[in-house]
Amino acid sequence: MSYLTRQTLNRRTVLKGLGVSVSLPLLEAMIPARAADAQQVVGKKRFVAIEMVHGSAGSTAFGEKNHLWAPAETGRNYTFGKSSLAPLEAYRDHLTIVSRTDVRNAEAFTPPEIGGDHFRSAAVFLTQSHPHQTQGSDVRAGVSIDQIFANQVGGETPIPSMQLCIENVDQAGGCFYGYSCAYTDSISWATPNDPLPMIRDPRAVFDQLFGVGATPEARARRRRRDRSILDWVTQSVSDLRKTLGAADQARLADYLEDVREIERRIQKVEASNASGEPRDLPGAPAGVPDSYTDHVKLMFDLQALAFTADLTRVFAFKLSRDVSNRVYPETGVTTGFHIASHHGDREDRILEYAKINTYHVSLLPYFLDKLKAAREGDRTLLDQSVVMYGSPMGNSNVHNHKRCPLILLGHGGGAIKGGVHLAASDGTPMANPMLSVLHTLGVEVSSFGDSTGTFDLNAPAVTTAAGA
Amino acid sequence: MSALVTGMTALIAAGPQQNAAAPSAPIAAAPQAAAPAATLRPVVSRPAVATTASQNETIRQYCVGCHSDRAKAGGLTLASYDAAAAAQHAELTEKMIRKLRAGMMPPAGARRPEASTITALAEALESRIDASVPTNRAGGRVFQRLNRAEYARAVRDLLRVDVDVTALLPADTISAGFDNVADSQMFSTTLMESYLRAAGRVTALALGDPEAESAEALYRVPKTQSQMEQVPGAPLGTRGGVSVMHTFPADGDYTVRVELHGNADGFLFGGPNLNEQIEVSVDGERMALLDVNPRLADVTGGLALRTPSVHISAGPHRVTAAFLQRFEGPVNDLLAPIDHTLADTQIGVSHGLTTLPHLKDMAIVGPSKVTGVSDTPSRRKVFTCRPTAPSEETTCASRIVRDLATQAFRRPVTTGDFDRLMGFYRSGRADGDFEAGIATALEAILASPQFLFRLEPIPATVVKGQPWRLDDHALASRLSFFLWGSGPDEALMKAAATGQLSTPGAIERQVTRMLADPRSEALATRFAGQWLRLADVEQILPDAILYPYFDRSLGRAMVREAELFFDSIVREDGTVTDLLTADHTFVNGRLARHYGIPNITGPEYQRVTVSDERRGLLGKGSVLMLTSVADRTSPVMRGKWVMEVILGSPPPAPPPNVPTLEETGAAGATRLLTTRERMEEHRKNPACRSCHRVIDPLGLALENFDVTGKWRIKDNGSAVDPSGELYDGTPMDGPAGLRRALLKHQDVFVLSFTESLMTYALGRRIEPQDMPMIRRIVREAGRQDYRLSALIKEVATSPAFRMGSEVPVVSETTLAPAH
Repeated sequence: MSYLTRQTLNRRTVLKGLGVSVSLPLLEAMIPARAADAQQVVGKKRFVAIEMVHGSAGSTAFGEKNHLWAPAETGRNYTFGKSSLAPLEAYRDHLTIVSRTDVRNAEAFTPPEIGGDHFRSAAVFLTQSHPHQTQGSDVRAGVSIDQIFANQVGGETPIPSMQLCIENVDQAGGCFYGYSCAYTDSISWATPNDPLPMIRDPRAVFDQLFGVGATPEARARRRRRDRSILDWVTQSVSDLRKTLGAADQARLADYLEDVREIERRIQKVEASNASGEPRDLPGAPAGVPDSYTDHVKLMFDLQALAFTADLTRVFAFKLSRDVSNRVYPETGVTTGFHIASHHGDREDRILEYAKINTYHVSLLPYFLDKLKAAREGDRTLLDQSVVMYGSPMGNSNVHNHKRCPLILLGHGGGAIKGGVHLAASDGTPMANPMLSVLHTLGVEVSSFGDSTGTFDLNAPAVTTAAGA
Repeated sequence: MSALVTGMTALIAAGPQQNAAAPSAPIAAAPQAAAPAATLRPVVSRPAVATTASQNETIRQYCVGCHSDRAKAGGLTLASYDAAAAAQHAELTEKMIRKLRAGMMPPAGARRPEASTITALAEALESRIDASVPTNRAGGRVFQRLNRAEYARAVRDLLRVDVDVTALLPADTISAGFDNVADSQMFSTTLMESYLRAAGRVTALALGDPEAESAEALYRVPKTQSQMEQVPGAPLGTRGGVSVMHTFPADGDYTVRVELHGNADGFLFGGPNLNEQIEVSVDGERMALLDVNPRLADVTGGLALRTPSVHISAGPHRVTAAFLQRFEGPVNDLLAPIDHTLADTQIGVSHGLTTLPHLKDMAIVGPSKVTGVSDTPSRRKVFTCRPTAPSEETTCASRIVRDLATQAFRRPVTTGDFDRLMGFYRSGRADGDFEAGIATALEAILASPQFLFRLEPIPATVVKGQPWRLDDHALASRLSFFLWGSGPDEALMKAAATGQLSTPGAIERQVTRMLADPRSEALATRFAGQWLRLADVEQILPDAILYPYFDRSLGRAMVREAELFFDSIVREDGTVTDLLTADHTFVNGRLARHYGIPNITGPEYQRVTVSDERRGLLGKGSVLMLTSVADRTSPVMRGKWVMEVILGSPPPAPPPNVPTLEETGAAGATRLLTTRERMEEHRKNPACRSCHRVIDPLGLALENFDVTGKWRIKDNGSAVDPSGELYDGTPMDGPAGLRRALLKHQDVFVLSFTESLMTYALGRRIEPQDMPMIRRIVREAGRQDYRLSALIKEVATSPAFRMGSEVPVVSETTLAPAH
């Protein structure tokens, strides 16, 4: 199976295909969507995969003992205590903590790979596949989970999926330890050889989603003009058709379908405007904000808006870049991120590192608030979504990939109950819960990455002590 | 010409044994006069394998042994093939002709008839097919749409503005090697939306936007690009950085932000470096001089520097951010300097090396405080009149709109269209001013199907089922897109409007004129670039550790070299075979150093004479690189490229589950194996052998060229062995040997080249039914020694180019998606 997620499958292919030659392999995947579209909007799931680099303080021995990431208890009745997840208290019901899974494919398999963890991990996170060590163009990892989902639903929205990032990324070329920067720069892979570029500029994201225009008025004017141009195109086409041969006429007819589809989209955007676009986003962002918090929030705004207007249902969001030494003034920690992550297993420095982890997690409620406020049918968008947040590294000090952070937010359309801390048994691949995430999203695959089976994302009956 | 002479001699020698009564129709690649001068020679009645019975006998004797019902070599049986019915099996027959003409069949080692018998058989089959196809067969296709490259050129011609089309339109689908093949140009809502947005953006860029809001335009410096030398466009005395033509939307204040590369720990890459400075300049004039603090780091606020806000006028300006060149290179270092200076930024923290800071990207941010929109080349082109009183506005607008629409639509504007466009003008005028009105009309023009699609109306008089002559405007468009990659100019439009283009000899005269115009560079950059697959060079990133002397600037120089080389053959009206044999090329300082050519420095390309092994296309770095992989050469890919591009005879696809070369062989060896040795190991598998003994020697002959096209005598420590045999048994030793062996089949090369040229010119794939026409074109061009101008004129006057024909209705809706 090939993953051509960036190509939009034309709706008309499906619509007309129903009456004509029904040999479309993807048709089945699209019928429910059309049916749902005809009835109501309920049932469209959204997926956001967020990567944080450098593991967590809670993945160290000291951190495990002090429950700096995973809470002390498993099951429903856990307390956050000193956990970096404490900022999610208000979203406890929507939170599923999956602790203690391993990202084995991020480990070194051969001697030359030793030490290259930072330059390999990001490519592993959403693919759970082992990247081929190369500085050349022959990059190879796996298809990422967001793209597997986008492959199923991407054709139903104007934009199949989007890839966002916060930190500046390099372009093609070697990074370190013999790894291409492609592995460090992107977490989203359309095919095992095709990492998707990630967009850092919120304005670029905005333009892709909502069209050109800096203010709501400018965009409204733009839409009006687009409509009159589309009218003119339609009229020209009907004039022109008379002078052409039958095949060219048929071609123009296909083209007119696209014109009408754009008209429908404009209507859709205008309808969604009524639900508050001008209020949420008075002006298009001018560029990349200097403040990390502002930048992340802006990107969350855009994702929430895109979900509300159903412009896309899939985001991969890279919050940082391996070996980034960014300083986060909000944390009070003056050490750079990467340096702080090499805490030398000193307790005071691990605790300091936990502050950075906590800060990163504390950015999530801003997004969750927006998803919760947006309704679709009788559910909130948060109910309909799976927001997956995690890291392909465990103890960053020694670059291991064991007991890595992973949490899920949202109910995935009801498939995930939430409100629970699930501790995986030793050696469980992170790919297992990811496989189950795919299942909750309605993607029927039997394996993913190095998965050895599924992982029940819903609560076990009993509450037990975990970790320590 | 030597091959043809040889063939001729053989034919004559073989004469008496053959029966008389050869087919009377002229035959492709019929014997031409001997080199160098082209002497026209009457088509002689030549002895051949004259009767169908003897042809069938030859086939049975020499082909059916392998191509039997049982063995079915290559999935093909000829057991019941009847030469008399050649035309009924045109597709199969064309395949046979191709293999026979290329000398690939019967294969080396198998029993073969005399060469003359093979040629005669091929000729007999050809003439039978040629006679069966009507000479005015046009072959049809649906209409083409503007692809990325054509859109950019059309916009440049119309508005004098360069746009980054990759940011505006989705990538094109390639079919048969080209991006303009009509039936592969699908429509999608994404495409439609892109066209619509592009119309708005192009309009704003061209006319300027007095309401422009602040935005950021980011230009990245590829990490694989050396920053040790002055980049093209940058002021003298600078090194590295980036230099771009940026179109500013309005007069206003702008700032430029540059970001530097960091090392693994987020500290400034390069050191020890005191006193490094970055100069930001606009049109060569210094805008700011930024000091690079060596202590810049992620932890101390990042690696970015900003210029103060500076007022810049609207329109295109060259913006450069580059380091001031402090010294000529690393001094007293433990290692020799390398070109790929960022190959591994860890080098920057090693001792014993002097490294320098590198620029990562440049962002142009603005405008703020917009003061208006100054005069720009685009505005001069568009605003051909200026109303001085409100009463003059409509007259002036009519003139501007009509001129723009006529050029954009590539034919006169209908009254209905003109009225509607003026409606756009009026609505824009009502919302703003005169310029806003023009901008609105321009946007509608750019979104119009008549601009975006190359529609070719059918004359009312056409007889159902018959091909028709294109109207002069459609023909003018075909000519201009073929030769210039864009719409017709005024002269061509005029020739179409006056009916002059239909007069005898008019097309030939236009071709002569258009080839002499600088715009015919499109034949090199558009046609040859795709024919040779030059875009693949960007895809190959040689391993930085194995090939530290490579960097992106070198790759780009190689592509430019190939384009300039092709262009020179067009301009000097060389022959098709010059493409394989010409002893000149074009190099800049960087490429000259790579090739070992002395006394060439600087960024400009200069014409030089090359040594024997670098002659022609097979010695071009681009071709050698695009057929390699990151860490080794690929004789298979090189051989395949030669078979596809030069010989027009692609090898069959490999069977599934073939082990890769990397998995082959090194076991038990006491030293690293050469690529050739690994391949020979690989080829021991009999399933692979039958094809690879044809493919591999073609590539192995080029083994003296490494991944980057650099000459080498050793591979993995052992001597390179470039020897081998062409599939027909001709011995080869290195690139010159390969070239000479291929020249024996130059008629096949000419035919294959013509097929590609036709595909590009027509915007459709070549079908077996087109082969008679192509053979005729080749034959006619052969009378002029296969000069490119002759070939191009033959293509442009061929029925397929000048005529239209109905094609079956294939709506997208009846096509299942390919995945």
